[in-house]
Amino acid sequence: MAREQPHMGDLLPLLESSDLHQVEEVKDLIRDHLNQDRGAVLVNGLVDYYLETGSTEAMHFLSSVREPHDKHLLDKMNECMASRACRLHTLTLLGHVVRKEPSWIHKIARFPLLLSLLKCLKTDTDVVVLITGVLVLIILLPMIPQPGKQQLYEFFDIFGRLAAWNLKNSGRVTEVYLVHLHASVYSLFHRLYGMYPCNFVSYLRSHYSMKENMDTFEEVVKPMLEHVRIHPELVTGTQDHELDPTRWKRYEIHDIVIECAKVSLDPKEASCEEGYSSAPEHFSAPQPLRHLDCGSSPYADFHSSCGSSSSTLFSTPRQAMTSLSGMQPPYRSPQGSRHQIGELNNSCGLKDPFWTPASVCGMTTPPPSRGISPTGIAESTRSSSNFPGRIHGTLGSSKGMPSFSTPVTATPPPTLSDVFSNASRSSGTSSPPRKDNRSLEYLKPGLVRQEPISELERSHMEAVETGDNSSDNIPMTLTELSSFVEEQQSAEQEEDALMQELLKITEDPPQLPSQWGLDSPFCHTTETLTGSQAPGPVALGLSLSHECHAEATSGTDRPEGAPDLFTPIDCPVPNQQSPPAPEDEAEAPNKAVICFPSPCGAATPSYEALFDLALPKAAPHFVRRRTSEALRRAGAEEGEEAGPGPSVGPPTPPSPLEVLDRLVQQGKDAHDKALKRLPLLSKSADWTHFGAGSAPLDELHTLRSQLLLLHNQLLYERYKREQHAVRNRRLLRRIIKATALEEQNSAMKDQLNLQNMDILSLKESLQVEQQRYHQLWEDREAVVTRLHSQIRQLQQGRDEYYTKNQELQSKLLECQKMTGKLEAELQKANNVVCNMGHQLSQLSIKLTTSESMQQQMAFLNKQLLLLGEVNKLCMEELQHSGTDTSKEQQMMLASSDKELERLRLSLVTQAQHLEAAQQRIGELEAHLTKKEHLVVEQKKFLEDVKAQAKGELQASESRYQAQRRVTQALQTELLQLYSRLEVESPATGGGPVPAGGTVQPHSLSVPRMDGDHTSLPGSKVKTAPQDRVDVNSPAATPHRGNISTLLPLPTPGSVNGGGGCPLAWVEPPPPWGSPGAPSPVSSCPTSGSFLDMRAQELLRCKSEGPWDGDPRRLAGLSQGLKTEMCVDPLRPAWGPHTREARPDVLRANSRDGPISGPGSARQRKQELRIMDYDETHHEHS
Amino acid sequence: MAEDPQRNFRSAYYEKVGFRGVEEKKSLEILLKDNPLDVEKLCTFSQRFPLPSMYRIHVWKVQLGILPPHSDSHSLVMGYRREQYRDILEALKAIRVVHAATPQVEVYLRMFQLEAQELSRSSELAPPGEDDENFLSIAKSMEEIVEDPVDCYWLIKCFVTQFNNKFGDTVPHLPKSLEHYLNMEDSRLLTHLKSCGALTKLPYDPWFWRCFSGCLPESSLQRVWDKVISGSCKILVFVAVEILLSYKNKLMGMKRLEGILQFLANMPQENTDAIVTKAIDLWHKHCGTPVHLV
Repeated sequence: MAREQPHMGDLLPLLESSDLHQVEEVKDLIRDHLNQDRGAVLVNGLVDYYLETGSTEAMHFLSSVREPHDKHLLDKMNECMASRACRLHTLTLLGHVVRKEPSWIHKIARFPLLLSLLKCLKTDTDVVVLITGVLVLIILLPMIPQPGKQQLYEFFDIFGRLAAWNLKNSGRVTEVYLVHLHASVYSLFHRLYGMYPCNFVSYLRSHYSMKENMDTFEEVVKPMLEHVRIHPELVTGTQDHELDPTRWKRYEIHDIVIECAKVSLDPKEASCEEGYSSAPEHFSAPQPLRHLDCGSSPYADFHSSCGSSSSTLFSTPRQAMTSLSGMQPPYRSPQGSRHQIGELNNSCGLKDPFWTPASVCGMTTPPPSRGISPTGIAESTRSSSNFPGRIHGTLGSSKGMPSFSTPVTATPPPTLSDVFSNASRSSGTSSPPRKDNRSLEYLKPGLVRQEPISELERSHMEAVETGDNSSDNIPMTLTELSSFVEEQQSAEQEEDALMQELLKITEDPPQLPSQWGLDSPFCHTTETLTGSQAPGPVALGLSLSHECHAEATSGTDRPEGAPDLFTPIDCPVPNQQSPPAPEDEAEAPNKAVICFPSPCGAATPSYEALFDLALPKAAPHFVRRRTSEALRRAGAEEGEEAGPGPSVGPPTPPSPLEVLDRLVQQGKDAHDKALKRLPLLSKSADWTHFGAGSAPLDELHTLRSQLLLLHNQLLYERYKREQHAVRNRRLLRRIIKATALEEQNSAMKDQLNLQNMDILSLKESLQVEQQRYHQLWEDREAVVTRLHSQIRQLQQGRDEYYTKNQELQSKLLECQKMTGKLEAELQKANNVVCNMGHQLSQLSIKLTTSESMQQQMAFLNKQLLLLGEVNKLCMEELQHSGTDTSKEQQMMLASSDKELERLRLSLVTQAQHLEAAQQRIGELEAHLTKKEHLVVEQKKFLEDVKAQAKGELQASESRYQAQRRVTQALQTELLQLYSRLEVESPATGGGPVPAGGTVQPHSLSVPRMDGDHTSLPGSKVKTAPQDRVDVNSPAATPHRGNISTLLPLPTPGSVNGGGGCPLAWVEPPPPWGSPGAPSPVSSCPTSGSFLDMRAQELLRCKSEGPWDGDPRRLAGLSQGLKTEMCVDPLRPAWGPHTREARPDVLRANSRDGPISGPGSARQRKQELRIMDYDETHHEHS
Repeated sequence: MAEDPQRNFRSAYYEKVGFRGVEEKKSLEILLKDNPLDVEKLCTFSQRFPLPSMYRIHVWKVQLGILPPHSDSHSLVMGYRREQYRDILEALKAIRVVHAATPQVEVYLRMFQLEAQELSRSSELAPPGEDDENFLSIAKSMEEIVEDPVDCYWLIKCFVTQFNNKFGDTVPHLPKSLEHYLNMEDSRLLTHLKSCGALTKLPYDPWFWRCFSGCLPESSLQRVWDKVISGSCKILVFVAVEILLSYKNKLMGMKRLEGILQFLANMPQENTDAIVTKAIDLWHKHCGTPVHLV
C-alpha cells in the first residue's frame, strides 16, 4: 500500500492527460484501488487534486465514492472547509457529491462537515461562497429532513442572515451577486417554508418582529411570502410535529422537493402536480379578473407600453386575433402552436393543460389565454402595488369585477372602437387592443373615483407617451407577426427565418423596439428548436444562447452544448430603450449569461430595473446612480437609446428567479449590443473601451465568479429537474397501474353485466315460476273452496240430522217417561191387586173365624140356654134347701182364716232368719277377702324375704366358697409341707403304717388351726347335721367311731338328706391312704359355727337335687318363719330369733315328742293348717 | 322417677342451662330409697346419666352384686364380704404368698387367683405374668378410685368377673366395631390408619381388655366404667374412636406405625374428660339413649 500510495498520487495528474487510453487505464486503476483500499489516503489525494485542478474526473470519482470512503471524504472536506482559500472549491465539490445522492448521504447530518457548512454560511462574507453553500444546503435539506431543533434554527438563522445580506451589503458587493444570492435565498425560503412551515413562520414572526429587521422583511421576505400559498401544515401541524422524525419517513427526496414546490405560487419554483394541478383551474375563474387587472393596472400597461409578460404577450395575439379573426383564421393555429411550444419549453409542460385546449378551440375563450401563469400576473400586479401605483393597483383589482363583464362580453367591439379612438389619440396607428381594455378600464375607475384619477391620469399621460413609442411599433409587430406566420406556414426554414429575423433585429437597431413583441418568442423558440449554443467569446464551457444570438451575425449554427431545456419563452425584450419594461415575465432561462453591466451602458438600465424588482428599496439608490451613468453614456453613444426615465420605479413582478432570468437575458442582450456595436474590437479593446467603470481584471473575476454562480444555479436546477424526472417516472408507473385497474374495472363491469343478464334471466324464470305457482295456488284455492262448500253442505246435512236426532231422542225420552209412568201405574195397580188379594185372604180367614165364632156362639148360646135352664133348676133346688149349710160354712171359713194368720206369722219369722243368715254370709265373705289379701301380702313378703335370704345366702355362699378355696390352699400348702417333711426325714418313718402315728399330731394341729376361724371344736361335736353328714359315708363311720357314737338318733331321713352334697369334703381322700388322716381333714370345714352349718344345709336343701327328704323339715322352717311373722310382725330383727327358733322346730320335728306340751300341739296343728293352706294355695295357683 | 311430683319445677331448665346432675342426683337418691333396690333401673340410670361420685361406689357395688338389692341385709352381707376378705388375706399370709411388702395390687391378684383356684403353690409362685396384666391394671385403677381395700378387692373381683363373663365373647369383635364407627365418623383418618397399617396394631388390649385402665386418668375412667359396669361395653369402642378423632391432626401427621403406637401408648392426659364426654355423646348418638344395651 505504502509503496503504491505515491504511485497513485502520481497517477492523478494523468487523469487530465490527453491520451484517452491512458486516462481510461488510470481510471480503472483508481477505481480498483478505491474498491480494495479502505484507507483515506487516496480519497484525500483525490480531494486535494480536485481542489488544485478542479478536475472533472476527480470530481466524478469523489462524487461516486462508496460507503467506507464517505467518512474520509467528508472529513477531508471538513478540513478543507476550514481554509478560506479552498472553501469555494470544497463547496462546489460538496455540491457535486450531494447532487449525486450517494446512499450514505443521510449520514452527513452526523458529520462535522454539515456544522462547518452551516458555520461557513453564517460567518462567511464571500457572496459566491455563500450562494454556492446555500444551493448545497437547499439540495441537502430534503436529504436530511430530520434536523435537530438547533440545526433547524441554524438554517433559519442562515436564511435570516442571507436575507438581510442584500440590504446590509448592497454597497459593497457586486450587484450581480446580489441577484444570484437573492435567487438562492428565495429557493432556501421555499425549501424551508415547504418543509418546516410552522417553525419557519414562527421564526419569521420572532425574527422580523424586531424593529431593526423590519426593513428586511418589507424588502425581502414579504415579497417572498407573496410567492407562497398558505401551508396546510400551518393549520394542522405544530412545531414539534414538524420535527417528528416519522413525518418524513415515507417520503423520498423528490417527494419532499415536490411537497415544497406545492406550496409555492411561483411557477418557476413550483411545479404543479396531482392535487395542485387543480390550483390553476381554481385560478381559471379569477383569471380574467387578473388578466383585466393586469391589463387595467396602470403601471403594467402604461409603463411598459407593450405587454412584455408572457400573458400579455399571449393576450396580445389573442386579441389581435379576435380582432382579426375574420381575416386570418389560419394564422391562429400556428401562432397558438408556437406559443404552445414555447410554453412547453418554458415550464416543463407546466402550462400544457391550459394551453392545449385554448389553442385547440381557437382561443375563443378568454380564460385559458390568461392561464399561463396567474401567479406571475398576480405577482406582477401585487408587486406593482409596491410602488406609488399601489393604490391604482388595488383599485384596479377591486374594479376588476365590474370591468370584467364589459370586456368579456364585448371585447371585439370596444376593441375596434378603441383602436380607432386610440389611434386617433396616438400616432394614428392601430393601438393594441389590450390598451383599449386598459383604457376602458382605466376610464371607468377614473370616472368612479376622483382621487386616484389624478395620479392615474398622470401616469396615464406617461403611458400615452410611451404608448406612442409602442403604438408605433405595434403595426410593425402585427405585420411582422403575419409575415412570420406566413413564414412559419412554410414551416421548414424556421431556423433560417428566425435567424433572418434576428439578423434583421440586430442589423436594424432602430427597429428593435418595435419588434420586441415578436422578437422574443422567436428568439427563444429558435433556441428551443436549435437547442443551440455557441461558444461564447468568453469561453466558460457553457453555451450562451443569447450571446449566440448576439453573435449570430456570423450566421453559424450553434453547436450543441449544454442541454437547454429551460429556455426563455418570452424573450423579455426589455430593450435598451425601455428600461421600465420589467413586466417581462419570461421564464427564467437559467442560463449562464454574461452580462456586461458596467461596460455596457445599454445594460445598465436593465440592471436598474432588475434591482427595482428584486430589491425595491435598494433599487432606487442604485438605479439613480445607474441612470445618471446610463444617461450619460446613452447620450454619448446613442441618442435613441435613451429610454423613458428610469425614475419611474418599475413596479414589477418580482420572482427572484425571474429577475435572475432577466438579468441573464439582459446580459445577453447587452452583450449582443455591445458586440454589435463593437464588432471589430478585440476583447481587450473591448474592455478598454468599456473599461470606464472598473478594471478589467476585476471584471474578469466578477465574470468568472458569476459564471461559477450560474453554473451552480444550473446544476441546482438540473438537480431539481432530475428530482422531477424521478417523480415523473413514479407518476408514470402510477398511471400504468391506474390503467391496469381501469381495465380490471371494465372487466369487472363486463362480468357485472353478465351477472346482471343472469339475474334478469333468473328473474324471468322466477316470474314464470311465480305465475305457475299462482296458477297452482288458484287451482288449489278453487278446490279448497269447492271442498269447503261440500263440507258446508255436509255439515248442514249433519246439523239437520242432529236436530232430527234430537227430536227423536226427546220423543224417545217422552216415550220412556210415558212407559215409566205406565209402569208405575202398573205397579200401583199390581200393588192394589196384591193388597186386595191379601185383604181377601185376611177376610176369608176372618170369615172362617167369624164363622167358627158364630158356631161357637151358637154353641155357647145353646150352653147358655142350657145353663140358664140348669140355673133355673138350681135356683129351684136352692130355694128348696138353702139354710142348712151356712153355719158349717162359716165355721170352716173362720178356721181357715186363723190358719192363714198363723202361716203368715211363720213366714215373717222365716224371712227374718233368712236375712240374718245372709248378713252372716256377707261378713264371712269380707273376712275371707281380707284373709286372702293378707295371704297375698304374706306371699309377697315371703318372696321378698326369700330374695333377701338368697342374697345373704349368696354372700355367705361366696364366702363359703372362698373359705373352701382358702382351705384348699392351706391344705395344699400343708401337704406340700408334709411332703417336704417326709422328704426331709426319710429315715425316721419307713412306711405308711407308722406314719399314722406321726400324722396324729398334725391332725390335732389342724383343728387347732381351724379354731381360729370357727367357734369351738366342741360345738362341732354337738351339731347333729354335721353328724348326719358324716354318717352319710358308711365306709368312714367305722374309722371315726368317736364321732359317730355321739349320734343319739340316726334318722333314716337324714341318710337321704345327705345326698351327694358333702362329697366335696369327703371326696378328697388323702393320697397316702392313712385312715386317720381324712377324719380331721374332713372335719375341718365343719368347724364353722352352727348357724353357718344350718345355712349351708338349708341352701343345699333348696338348691340341690330333688327334695326327697323330710318335707316337714322345710315346712316346719317356713312355718316357723310364718308364724313368727304372723304372730309378731312388729319384731324387726328376727335373725337371731329364727336362729333360735329353728333349732327348736327342727328338734321338735326330728325328735318327734321329747318336747311336748300344749304349745307344741297347737303349733303342730297350726303348722298343719298352714301347710294345708299352702298346699291348697299351690293348687290354686 | 321423672314423674315424681316433688320434683323441682326448675328441673326442666337445669338441663337446658347445662347443669347436669342436679336432678339426676335426686332421682338417684329416690332410686336408692327403694327397699329392694331395682338393679335394672339403676343400670338404666347409670347408662343414661353420669353418676354422682358420692354414690358411685355404692351403685357399683349394687350393680356388681357385691351388695344385695335389699338394703336391710347390706350391713350383714358387707360383714360377710369383709370377713371373707380377711380370711383370704390371712390364708395368703399364712401360706406366705403375700407378705407385708407385697404391693396391694398383687395382693388383690393373689386373692383373686386363690378364689379362682388358680393360685399356684407358694413354692412355685411366679411373679405376675402377662396374663395377669389386665387384672393388675384394672386393680391399680380401682385402687385409685376406691379407698377401702375390702371394697376395692370386691369391686375388682366382681368387675373382672362380670366383664369376663358378660363381654368375654364381645370384646374380640370390638376392633371391627371400632373400624365401622371410625369409618362413619372420619373415613380419612381410617384410611390413613389403614395405610399406615396401624389399625390392626392399635392398643386394643389396654383399651378393651383393660377398659382403658392405665390409659385414662381415674377421674375420666370411672365415668367410662359407670357405663361398662352398668352393662355396655360398646362405650369402650366409642372412647377409642373419640381418642383417635381427638388426636386426628397429630395422627394424620404421623406416617410411621411406630410413631402412632408410641403416641397412643403415651397419650396426653389433659383433656380426657372432654374426650370421655364426647365419647358418651357419640355413644348416645349411635346407639340411641340406652334403655338396655349390651
